Amino acid sequence: MIEKIKKILSECGINRWRINEVKEESAELFFVKHQLDTRRIKDTHKFVVTVVRESEKDGKKLSGSMGANIIASMTEQEIKAEIESAYYAAQFAMNPDYDAPEKETSECVCKKNELTEKPLAESAGKMAAAIFSADTSEHAYINSTEVFCHRYFKRVVSSNGTDVSFIDAVCKGDYVVQCKEPEDVELINQYQYDDVNVDAIKEGVKQYLDYAYDRARAQKTLKSGKYDVVICADNLAEIMTYYTEKSAADMIYPHYSSWNIGDDVQNDAKKDKVDLTLVATAPFSADGIRMKDLQIIKDGKLTAIHGSTPFCRYLGLKPTGNFSKTRCDNQGSESFEDMKKKPCLVAVTFSDFQTDAMSGHFGGEIRLAYLVEDGKITPVTGGSVNGNLIEAQQNVVFSTDRYVSAGYEGPYAAKFENVSVAGVE
Amino acid sequence: MFEKLDIVKPALKNLVSELRKKYAYASVLAVQDDSRAWRINRAGKRINNVGLGGGSGYVVRVFDEIGCAEYSFNEFSEEKIPEIVKAIDERVAHQTANILDGIKPLPTPIPSDEPATLKKVSGYAIDPRELGDEKILEKLDAIRNKTLSVDGILDAMVNVSYRKFRKLFISENRDLDQTVMWTNGAIVALALRGEEVKDAYKGFSQLGGAEILDRMEEFATEVANKAIELLSSEQMIPGEYDCICDPDTTGMIVHEAFGHGVEMDMFVKDRALAASFIDERVASDLVTMHDGNAVDDSATMWFDDEGTLTSDTVVINGGILKKGMCDALSAARLGVKPTGNGRRESYERKVYTRMTNTYFEGAAQNVTLDEMIASIKYGFLLESPSSGMEDPKNWGIQCMVTTAREIKDGKLTGKIFSPIVLTGYVPDLLKSVSMMSGQLVTCGSGYCGKGYKEWVKVSDGGPYMKARIRLG
Repeated sequence: MIEKIKKILSECGINRWRINEVKEESAELFFVKHQLDTRRIKDTHKFVVTVVRESEKDGKKLSGSMGANIIASMTEQEIKAEIESAYYAAQFAMNPDYDAPEKETSECVCKKNELTEKPLAESAGKMAAAIFSADTSEHAYINSTEVFCHRYFKRVVSSNGTDVSFIDAVCKGDYVVQCKEPEDVELINQYQYDDVNVDAIKEGVKQYLDYAYDRARAQKTLKSGKYDVVICADNLAEIMTYYTEKSAADMIYPHYSSWNIGDDVQNDAKKDKVDLTLVATAPFSADGIRMKDLQIIKDGKLTAIHGSTPFCRYLGLKPTGNFSKTRCDNQGSESFEDMKKKPCLVAVTFSDFQTDAMSGHFGGEIRLAYLVEDGKITPVTGGSVNGNLIEAQQNVVFSTDRYVSAGYEGPYAAKFENVSVAGVE
Repeated sequence: MFEKLDIVKPALKNLVSELRKKYAYASVLAVQDDSRAWRINRAGKRINNVGLGGGSGYVVRVFDEIGCAEYSFNEFSEEKIPEIVKAIDERVAHQTANILDGIKPLPTPIPSDEPATLKKVSGYAIDPRELGDEKILEKLDAIRNKTLSVDGILDAMVNVSYRKFRKLFISENRDLDQTVMWTNGAIVALALRGEEVKDAYKGFSQLGGAEILDRMEEFATEVANKAIELLSSEQMIPGEYDCICDPDTTGMIVHEAFGHGVEMDMFVKDRALAASFIDERVASDLVTMHDGNAVDDSATMWFDDEGTLTSDTVVINGGILKKGMCDALSAARLGVKPTGNGRRESYERKVYTRMTNTYFEGAAQNVTLDEMIASIKYGFLLESPSSGMEDPKNWGIQCMVTTAREIKDGKLTGKIFSPIVLTGYVPDLLKSVSMMSGQLVTCGSGYCGKGYKEWVKVSDGGPYMKARIRLG
């Protein structure tokens, strides 16, 4: 199919292009309580052909690009029509020209694990069984769960000679835990692993069953005011997106971020200084760049800018490709247990915790938090956290306890001082 | 366009017939998609072929002795029928059944397959494909330049995107065919305050085509001025206040705070508090809530992704909760009629109960915004919702808005607070609704997720609404 597309590109006189081939297989299981609701499988095979058209204005080289969606069953005439339409459109979206990434060639890189090698339905069944086997709390139980196992073959071929491919897989989904007494409450948690990870999912389910019990007992007594707020696990990962987005070439090029390499991006922090590394989770990016880990912040200072080819080139940098995992390298200065010994609000789950990299704002509605006050720990629910990282990052303390998920690795918790909380009283 | 589905339709019917020889129920949904998006900001001009699209492909549903099984794929022809049947037999039905040691199926009666035929095409004034990329980008450029002409604007991002799709639903007794075009647009103005970038947003949506661009231009200056206003915004002092919600904020409350809680797949799972409130008062008598095809916006359709014809569902009538929205499988499990709300993110995903166009009716009392403002001693006018999250089990509210305009002694003071988190208990908020304007406005420029995924196009809205709300 790739050869057929290349032949059509040549016939159309298009000499700058990239073909992204994705073949995907999935097995999906959906449960209500411990009963099977629906089961699904998927087989798709897609090609996106990105064509680049060149031009010149006032002595400056310009180029515009546009993608065409192709599937194998299309006739040559249909493929040609799609590609020609994309090439025609590309002339109206001209931007400064940029050099393609360096040529890469490689044999297919195949991640070897259960998820890439065994039937996906078997892996999905194993994950479902693990979730149910952890459903042993006397207070709370699994209300419903979904398991998705996906396997991908991805190939990138481009006009500069790049030809790379790899096989990857992911297992993800969510579970809803419910506790009926003293109040009927639920919590939802998402998970994602790059292999069948029975131990991790069991641990997660058990923790969330405990959280559900605590939420059922939680008091709606939180008072409005300023608190030292401890943000945990995936919500802390969400806070870290402030740094990954502000250091991205596509934010810096249009001046949405003013960060430059060497800048103290943590504004002369008084406590822990942020160390962040972007982690390569796939061997190649969508534009065929060989991915490798990239440290972006060290001691609160920006050490690298990252991003896809055009924006990195515009900034005069080597393209890094786009990353989907962040590692916070800080080893922390206080254990999570010690954090809870001083007055603070430990917010463990929100209905939807968000960080806005543009404004620095972070916040969300509290589903479960532990209020540490007068030496007592009280589960509380309701109210909201409303903070701004531009100020809050100056007094942050990371926990020595670690946390790992598909998109984040680093301290389990971070304490931010003097953050505004809207209570329920 | 979309003639391909005419070519494969006989083969799709053959596939269903072939599957019916083995399975108690079989259907296929075929989708052909044409999508495109245009965007201009300081980073450049971009055209992409994703648009609002869900992609072109097929999904087969069968019922065997265990229950519902589905197979999604994107290559189909008459010759592929044996291969598809084999995949369903061996990989969906057999393999997934074998690994479920000790797990029982959720009892599910086979949904009704009453005879129905339909062929409908939505209207539009300007086809984006006919208007062409050059003209569309020119118009966006003009809107952007108008936004940038306001002093102090760092950048303006303008975009427009459409999805034109044709869907065929074929089962033993149903033959449904719809072609629909939804178009969305947005203007975002950015302004700088120190390290903070403040942004103002205005979304646009419609059942229709590129005529949306003319409507967008009128709002360019207003969006830019809002971004400038945000530069002097302050942090909200947490508390419960008398508030007026603009139609977009009313829409977010309708959708996030209440709508998700009456999606009846949540009733099946015992995840919805609403299940125990049917025929009970959940809102003030000013509140009447609808979902469905009684309005035209970017979630209007004539049948859903399970082949159920859509309708106008009255969810709340005069403050009393009457019924929820329901997909076909949940309806079969609950013993009720489906409402045409079984939707997929794409042919590659499962069906869930999803909202479509969801809104509060304008009230007969038809008070004006000025009258509402005049009625408030101290409170806020809430504008520009940015995000929200459902809590169907506990009816907790989490909605965020960009702007709260201070009202003192019946007048706007000019003071602005941002950003704002709305929290509280849904029935408390809805029962506190004390005034509503007459005019309904809907907008469908965003996507709705189920939990944290399964993104579908929806619209929501309502009139201006006065209520007591906890802000933080």
